[in-house]
Amino acid sequence: MGSDRGRGTTGIFYHPSFSRRSYLTTGRRLADFPAALDSLLRYPHVRLYECPPAADELILLAHDPGLLPQVEADPL
Amino acid sequence: MEGVGRVAAGELTNAFCFIGAGGHHAGRNFFGGYCCFNDVVIAFRQARRTGTLRRVAILDTDAHHGDGTRDLVGDDPDTLHVCICGEDYASQDGTKVDVAAPDPWAIEVSADRAYLDLVRKVFPPRAARFRPDLIVWYFGFDTHQGDYGDLGLTSEAFLGIADLMIDVAGQGCGGKLVVVLGGGSRTDLATALIPPVIARLAGVA
Repeated sequence: MGSDRGRGTTGIFYHPSFSRRSYLTTGRRLADFPAALDSLLRYPHVRLYECPPAADELILLAHDPGLLPQVEADPL
Repeated sequence: MEGVGRVAAGELTNAFCFIGAGGHHAGRNFFGGYCCFNDVVIAFRQARRTGTLRRVAILDTDAHHGDGTRDLVGDDPDTLHVCICGEDYASQDGTKVDVAAPDPWAIEVSADRAYLDLVRKVFPPRAARFRPDLIVWYFGFDTHQGDYGDLGLTSEAFLGIADLMIDVAGQGCGGKLVVVLGGGSRTDLATALIPPVIARLAGVA
């Protein structure tokens, strides 16, 4: 089945909340997930990881501290 | 963040990252376009801190300009940022590049062909010269026919870019490729496009 090109371990990073309130322009764009990935997850070299929460310390590697309360206060 | 970290560390060959709400419109002190924080930049800065990578090449094929990412990496010579959007720009050192996407109503070939040819022209040569440790592809499907950034594209373009990015990463950085989901609003398109992209990453397409 298919070529071996790219064969190694592939990680899929996902969180169930992304299917409930992902990308709020129209809401549930990932409504079919993760079930849509079932056929791929049968391969032993394809692994699903649940995205862990990010610590504020990590967010501050890219953003000013003042952005955190702005994001928290946004009705998004 | 976890995906970039594990690929950079060599625990995974490649990764597909669903993210909750975009990322490339989040800059140092602003956010918008449903992007709260810039997941990609946070992730590779963390990987740099742990010493698993230094140079990152980013291709952004979301319909809109990655203004937040550019804000964060504009002065970073170790980041190549190529964004296919609505304008043309190149920084003096050639590491920050914007390229206008083909206008589907003003071309003689198919929209897929024109877009894919453009990606082939603008990203692989720059990535080869840049010699990244890891490549990130911002995969937005908002440019698909019928979505909000419609450029007349079909699955042919997206899967063609996926194949191309896998090849570029294979040739330039040991296959280390992280695909990050960008824009796109339709469930049917997400369902039709995302699993085949992941199948290509896994070498089972």
